[in-house]
Amino acid sequence: MKTSNRNSLMRWNSLGLLLAGAVVWSAAQAATPALQAMHPSVALLDEQGVNVLKSGQAVSTLKTCGQCHDASYITSHAFHADLGLSQFGTAAKGSWNASNGFFGRWDPLRYRYLTLAGDELLDLSTPEWLMANGKRVVGGGPANTARNGQPLQALAPNANDPEASMLSTDGKRVAWDWKASGTMEMNCFLCHIAKPNLAARAEAIGAGRFGDANTATLLGLGIVESGGGKAKGWNWNRAAFTADGLLEGRKLALQDPSNANCAACHGEAHPGGSTPIQVSACDLDQPQTATTGQVVSGLRIKLSGVNLANKESLNRSWDVHAERQLQCTDCHHARNNPAHARGDLGNRPSHLRYDPRTVDIAEYLQKPDHDLARGPGARSHASAVPQGDMRRCDTCHDASTHATWLPYVATHMAALACETCHIPQQHAPAIQAYDWTVLTADAQPAKTCRGVQGEPGNVKSLVDGYVPVLLARGEAQSGSSGLAPYNLITSFYWVVDDAQGRTRPVRLVDLQTAFFGSGDSKKPIGQHAYAAEILVAFDTDKDGHLSAAELRVDTPQKQEAVKARLLGLGLKNPRMDGQVQPYAINHGVARGAHVLRDCAACHNKQSRMQEGMALASFAPVLPHLEPGANVSTSGDLVRSSDGALRYQPVPARDALYVFGSSRIGWVDAIGLLAFLGTLVGVSGHGLLRYLAWRKRPHHAEPTHPVQMYDAYRRFWHWLQAISIVTLLATGIVIHRPDWFDADAFPAMVTLHNVLAVLLVVNAALSLFYHLATERMREYLPRPQGFIHDSMRQSAYYLSGIFKGEPHPFEKRPDDRMNPIQKLTYFGILNVLLPLQIATGALIWGAQYRPDWVALLGGLPVIGPLHALAAWFFATFIVGHVYLTTTGPTPLEGIRAMVTGVEEVEDHV
Amino acid sequence: MNKPKHSNWPLGLAVIALLIAVPFAYLTRPTQAPKLQAASALPVKAAHVDHHDIVKGPFKTGQEVTRACLACHKDAATDVMKTSHWTWESKPAVVGWRKEPVTIGKINQINNFCIGTQGNENKCMACHVGFGWEEGRAKQQANAENVDCLVCHADPGVYSKALWGNPGPKVDLLAAARSVRASTRENCGKCHFDGGGGNGVKHGDLDESLYFPSRSLDVHMGGKYNLQCSDCHVTRKHQILGRMVADNFHIDPAEQASCEQCHKGVVHSDERINKHLSSVACQTCHIPAIAREEPTKVNWDWSKAGQKGREDDHYTYLKIKGEFSYASDFAPTYLWFNGNNEYRYILGDPIAQSGPTYINKPAGSIADPKARIFPFKVHTAKQPYDKVNGYLLQPVTAGKGGFWTTFDWNKSFEMAAPITGLTYSGQYGFTETVMYWATTHMVQGSDAALHCDDCHNVGGSKDSESPLRMDWKALGYPGDPVQWGGRRLK
Repeated sequence: MKTSNRNSLMRWNSLGLLLAGAVVWSAAQAATPALQAMHPSVALLDEQGVNVLKSGQAVSTLKTCGQCHDASYITSHAFHADLGLSQFGTAAKGSWNASNGFFGRWDPLRYRYLTLAGDELLDLSTPEWLMANGKRVVGGGPANTARNGQPLQALAPNANDPEASMLSTDGKRVAWDWKASGTMEMNCFLCHIAKPNLAARAEAIGAGRFGDANTATLLGLGIVESGGGKAKGWNWNRAAFTADGLLEGRKLALQDPSNANCAACHGEAHPGGSTPIQVSACDLDQPQTATTGQVVSGLRIKLSGVNLANKESLNRSWDVHAERQLQCTDCHHARNNPAHARGDLGNRPSHLRYDPRTVDIAEYLQKPDHDLARGPGARSHASAVPQGDMRRCDTCHDASTHATWLPYVATHMAALACETCHIPQQHAPAIQAYDWTVLTADAQPAKTCRGVQGEPGNVKSLVDGYVPVLLARGEAQSGSSGLAPYNLITSFYWVVDDAQGRTRPVRLVDLQTAFFGSGDSKKPIGQHAYAAEILVAFDTDKDGHLSAAELRVDTPQKQEAVKARLLGLGLKNPRMDGQVQPYAINHGVARGAHVLRDCAACHNKQSRMQEGMALASFAPVLPHLEPGANVSTSGDLVRSSDGALRYQPVPARDALYVFGSSRIGWVDAIGLLAFLGTLVGVSGHGLLRYLAWRKRPHHAEPTHPVQMYDAYRRFWHWLQAISIVTLLATGIVIHRPDWFDADAFPAMVTLHNVLAVLLVVNAALSLFYHLATERMREYLPRPQGFIHDSMRQSAYYLSGIFKGEPHPFEKRPDDRMNPIQKLTYFGILNVLLPLQIATGALIWGAQYRPDWVALLGGLPVIGPLHALAAWFFATFIVGHVYLTTTGPTPLEGIRAMVTGVEEVEDHV
Repeated sequence: MNKPKHSNWPLGLAVIALLIAVPFAYLTRPTQAPKLQAASALPVKAAHVDHHDIVKGPFKTGQEVTRACLACHKDAATDVMKTSHWTWESKPAVVGWRKEPVTIGKINQINNFCIGTQGNENKCMACHVGFGWEEGRAKQQANAENVDCLVCHADPGVYSKALWGNPGPKVDLLAAARSVRASTRENCGKCHFDGGGGNGVKHGDLDESLYFPSRSLDVHMGGKYNLQCSDCHVTRKHQILGRMVADNFHIDPAEQASCEQCHKGVVHSDERINKHLSSVACQTCHIPAIAREEPTKVNWDWSKAGQKGREDDHYTYLKIKGEFSYASDFAPTYLWFNGNNEYRYILGDPIAQSGPTYINKPAGSIADPKARIFPFKVHTAKQPYDKVNGYLLQPVTAGKGGFWTTFDWNKSFEMAAPITGLTYSGQYGFTETVMYWATTHMVQGSDAALHCDDCHNVGGSKDSESPLRMDWKALGYPGDPVQWGGRRLK
């Protein structure tokens, strides 16, 4: 029912287009003389090359369109047609996939398994595969070619050949006669005319009349009518053709594929207009929306006919590019289309930024490359043809405009795909899990849909959408990898081994027999009665029905019951398995105020990076992650005690270090220990000094004023001190934003960078000053007698100071530091400071020179190093400030550094 | 030892502070010009003075009330008499098809609704800001005490007007006089919402739903702002800002109300939308529909008036007026508009040789740099014309012995002849006319304004149920500007 609604919508779309076109056309007629159609009139030829008006047979697209367009080039350069046939091989042990494409790769959602040659049991033969999936098959490839490259029509009907047989309704193998049914050539009309008759075509395919499919696409245009079955041929409408027997191009309304053409198979690309759109939730007839929740529409979300949560606030359009009138083909174009030439791509010499040399338009029209440009998120197993040659966001958009509000633009652009922030949330439901380990009363798996509360198809269910999970994805062009949003779909199913030990998913017909008993598959949906053993095992509350809570394999008894039924069918080693598949999200882009701009979304303890995703409310078995070729599923699958399954990302496994979110516990522990330990130590030392001072007789130590610090020294010291203290303060906010106000994060980062630059410039100038004026020697400890002098100084701090003894070394302007001080500063200025500056510079430089940073271990190493050094700096400051209180009076040291004049004890 | 030098540590501290603060402030400067608060440009009005204890009666006539007002507000009447609310005509305008300058207004020209006021002052002047029309135009206009202060300033709940512009017979003039305050939407709306003889008939964007509008009806008058008419139609010395397209030929922009009075500077954060400002008026995107709640008249067929035995129904047929049709919540018609008319029907002008006669025709074209695409309500009508003389006729309808009494067209035209100056040949017919009313109220905020998808339709993506909002070819574009680019002005 849904299909016909969608098809009638398509028909209305196309009718509307035709009507609008007619109106505009007739208006134009009034103004200007009628222009010829661009596409010339063509003769429609049948498979033998004879004009259909003569033979009354079905039209052959390859022969017809092939009169001008190079059909063999097109069919061999079209992954929509090939669907994995060219890679088809025998499955390796352990894998039941024969290819990476739609034809050959098992899809747990649709469940039926395309049987390979040599398998004992037949599930889906090629003809049945076509009948089941043919609506979304454009023809050519597996639709008219056998797995060994021969035409299908050359195969003899053979009940044992999975390519020329079929499973009858009572489960027996019967032969299939390709010559009788015909095969489907690549159907040009499907994508290139304005009103393809999808319903008639689907009906012909579903009935197995493949040879009629292409001609059925033309029904309703006044060109042809059904002659009542293949035997009687087709009734071609002579009046629609010219006197020469040619069909006018305008009659067919040949065009570039429109969004409606793409939507016929991919689903949910809504036309504009005032009709509120409705989204068919988790409906596999609209695969793109069902698997990801993507809706391609320019209409405002709040004007949709969908029961959305917080609807009034959803002011943006579903997809801003659709709103701005982009068509599918603006990005997904033919790779050699000169209008979309990507002169900036490919193997061009470095002295060229752009190469304008393209194929001439006439040549292009003869040999259009139907391997359309695809983005990096395309299901990597849909074709062997390389992907990632589509124009990406940065072809049209300049990301540097982010610099007005985003610090570290280049780092973000390198670590994140644009979609991460520009598709922050999905507002339509998507499939969450299919549990084929059980069957519901209408022979369906237990399905869950994420993003909707309640039943997906019910208009009253509240649609609250979901937040996609972020997975690292490699970009083919730049070679970099960035986080991009995905939906994860989990499926559980029974697998068995065949006699050769090959693993196969249990056939649907066997699963149905196991659950409902044999002969039950003939009953209409909803009337299946469970087999007695199943009912006994699953019906825990003994009410005769299996509720959703009961219909899950959560006890050993249930598992054994199903196993026993499967074993009873002669299947070997039945066991449960599952897989988690990522589905990329690239459409549904937002702009402006609706984009993720909140730093705290990722730079926080609770971070999007670590958020993960609920996979299933009950997982009968721990599934395995099925990665795409270019997406990293490095996280963990976590199954809780009640069976709920969750995907938990681990950013560190993708070499991601996010400030404010990533933290190494032991680094912070060591740092905190050092800091607190020193704080405790100096507090204790100070307390003891105070107590000792109280016991001593008080007399003022004679002092004399000395110009100890000149103006420059004081300036650079205080600039250094203020910078370091503020760097530490901003640093702790950056490191642990959850301890502070998370909104301060961007300002803290900017301030930290400003101070870092000041610090480096200050330190560099000071280094120059000390070197140029040879004041550097004041910092260098004398090697001779160093140990002895240090011991004297240490003795002073450990005992002499309590007794009120004078300092062992006189402080002079040219020799201000005791040996321990010299050593400490030597370490600070030559080890800790350069380390901190270097790690900080690398953190900032990681956006421009990721290779240098990667050499040293990447941000996951450099970040914690920076944090550790920062803790040591903080520790140093505690000690340093305390030790300034060891002068004649506690504040004398600080006062001296401010005014430059210090009261020094008179030395004997 | 060096001699101790005096330290200038505050200076050092200040330098350090600047070294940190200046780069930080530069890097965190706001990069988008802050959106000017439009509300700050609203006119500041005088504080309300309660007149309950000031005004002393009794008052027998409206003129007595006016005399009392003028005792303090000495210049008020003479100020009003300088405005078009009083004169009901524009300043003289030089038009290309007449030798002498002409004035245009309800006092002397016609429209395609109730047609004309001449001879019908008994009823029509209920919406004039003066009393005493029973004395005739000359006498009425000359007398300052004929200015009706109450219609704009009294509480509409206690005051109303009736025949000849005089106060209604049951009105308590003292109570009305005591209730005076600054004009509200109710004062203006009493006339402007019911123009053309009923709620919402004429303008399409002004009707009684604006008395208590919600924010989704009009973002200025509804919601939290609750603006009064005078907040945009700023009034100084009774000279009200704003001019109607229907009753003017060329309009001086200084006399016209505009969005830019308050919404100045960079008004959209989206660059692409700002690019539209050079060819699309604010109203086009921010007023997606006319007559959102109450229906407005879109067609008026006078030729069907006077039929015997046909039942009266407000929305379809009235014996005195003829047949009409209403529409509500529909998209406006879009034309290039530079603020003026290129033609305005002057009484006595010949009707069009073919097609409908324009009562007014907005000026502008794709090549006019001052023109923007602007929304209009189009009203079509079939109204009487003189078959021999070839001009539109203005009948006496409401006036004594007029069509609404006798249902005799010939008599109405004969009676009108000396009043209007149009000689009547004795033969009348009905011809089609069309009038354009600018749409500028029922404004939507950014959450409900039009967006890209509503006007642009690349790839034929619109479904068949939605007619295209913009007819690009009719506007002079070769096709959708998304593909063809915008207009190129020389």
